[in-house]
Amino acid sequence: MDMRAEAPSPRTERARRRGGPVFSIKGLLKVFGDDKPYVALKDVELTVENGEFLCLLGASGCGKSTLLNLLAGFEKPSGGELLYNSKPIAGPGRERVMFFQDANAALLPWQTVQQNVEFGLKLQGLLHNQGWRERIEECLELVGLAEHRHKVPSEISGGMRQRLQIARALAVEPDVLLMDEPFAALDAITRRRMHEALLDVWQREKRTVVFVTHDIMEALTLADRIAVMSVGPGSRIAHIIEIKQPRPRNPADPELGHLFAHLEHLLHGVSPEESMQ
Amino acid sequence: MSAVVSSDTLQHEKTQKMRRPRLLSAKQREIIRRLGFIATSFLMAFVVWYVVSYYVTGPFLIPPPSKVIAAFFPMAESGQLLNDIGMSLSRVAVGYSFGSVIGLTLGLFMGRVRVLHDLLDPIVQTARFLSPTAMIPIVIIWFGIGELAKYALVFWGTVSLVLINTIAGVLRTPKIRQNAALCLGASEAQIFRLIVLPSAVPFIVIGMRLALASAFVSIIPAELLAADSGLGYLLQQSSLLLQTDRIFVALVVICVVGFLTDQLFYWSTTLFLRRYLAVV
Repeated sequence: MDMRAEAPSPRTERARRRGGPVFSIKGLLKVFGDDKPYVALKDVELTVENGEFLCLLGASGCGKSTLLNLLAGFEKPSGGELLYNSKPIAGPGRERVMFFQDANAALLPWQTVQQNVEFGLKLQGLLHNQGWRERIEECLELVGLAEHRHKVPSEISGGMRQRLQIARALAVEPDVLLMDEPFAALDAITRRRMHEALLDVWQREKRTVVFVTHDIMEALTLADRIAVMSVGPGSRIAHIIEIKQPRPRNPADPELGHLFAHLEHLLHGVSPEESMQ
Repeated sequence: MSAVVSSDTLQHEKTQKMRRPRLLSAKQREIIRRLGFIATSFLMAFVVWYVVSYYVTGPFLIPPPSKVIAAFFPMAESGQLLNDIGMSLSRVAVGYSFGSVIGLTLGLFMGRVRVLHDLLDPIVQTARFLSPTAMIPIVIIWFGIGELAKYALVFWGTVSLVLINTIAGVLRTPKIRQNAALCLGASEAQIFRLIVLPSAVPFIVIGMRLALASAFVSIIPAELLAADSGLGYLLQQSSLLLQTDRIFVALVVICVVGFLTDQLFYWSTTLFLRRYLAVV
């Protein structure tokens, strides 16, 4: 902890140091409620590698968000093994930062853009450390909000608010970004720009991203691997699909078209032939 | 690009032609409109007051505005009216401050600590039906007719409103905002101070504004029954002497003082807490 305060940017070193998987999930079980227990997740098996972009894809209510909340430490597993860097997850921590769809609720509306980015460091008491001040600037620049730094969240657009959330998360130098359908409420054009911005940030900063979505195209645009979840109750990771296409990906790419049809089939039971028409 | 510009200027010229240049901005016109309605509203009230006074009840039961104004000046000049206003306001100030501080503190704890909430909420939910007026007889027995009794009654009229609204504000703090802060490394105390408290501000301000009105409503009956000064006492004395014009002076003064205090509260909170009030 003290080392962090002295050495401002240990992130690259930290990434190099660690070799094993970031998350390792074995036989994970999550049950809600006591009187009428609801089995949300059952026998979930998943490994998330360091630096990879993983999409959790599934229909509404299949437990994707529950799994993400478990990874963040907001929820406790009911059974099975849930490891982060080979250690059980005890609770939320700033090495695993969650990114929410509802930016208004997640951000501090009474603080300026810059104060929101500084918030994580303020909590650690690191705000006035020289190295970290530069980090704030870097994050504001990275998401293109430097000239809006003195505005409050209600004065900027929805897309900007999501970029602000990214900047705020990156400022605390997390190892993992956990994203819960972050762009689902945005219009198509803004959403596309956000995909580009996110990939840009991810490629430069090389962090692990676990991204929840129900949108096949979004998953195909972003992910290294797509983990398809089965329909609940008791859902699990039914398939894992690797995407080797280089980025930026072209939606017209026939290989992606095949994958789209395949995923459509896995998700909705639509046969590949039907979906190709 | 040039095509876009030319169509833009065309559009501009068209609107220029259609609309005559205005002397005042839209905002200024809106303010004038509002002021016009306020003036008309009071003018209407005065007219009705005159008509009822002269043609329905007679000037004794409802003295006309002219008589009330005539009664006002000697009362104001003797300093008696100002003294009564001052006494009532000081009682409101003390009782309201205590009520707000206790309501706010207890509300923050009850909103945050589940056991405390479940333990105390039943009492709060039942005891709040006892109006300050209902408490006057017992308060006189407890505290006599001194200042303490008045403070206690205003306190009673204040505390539950601030308390209930503060609890609501704390409980309504978005879970997402708290979780987001947890991710960024916030401690429990930091969540309370930096997330919950600011998120609850709009509710706390609403509670305190309602409580301020309630404080004014509480002090008058307290002074009617047990006081030797204040606006309630003025009402009581004037009633005994059948001085309806003086009663009306007191009634109008209560309206004006209450309104001005509320406006002061509104504008100062808007000015100092604008950032926290803009969003819920």
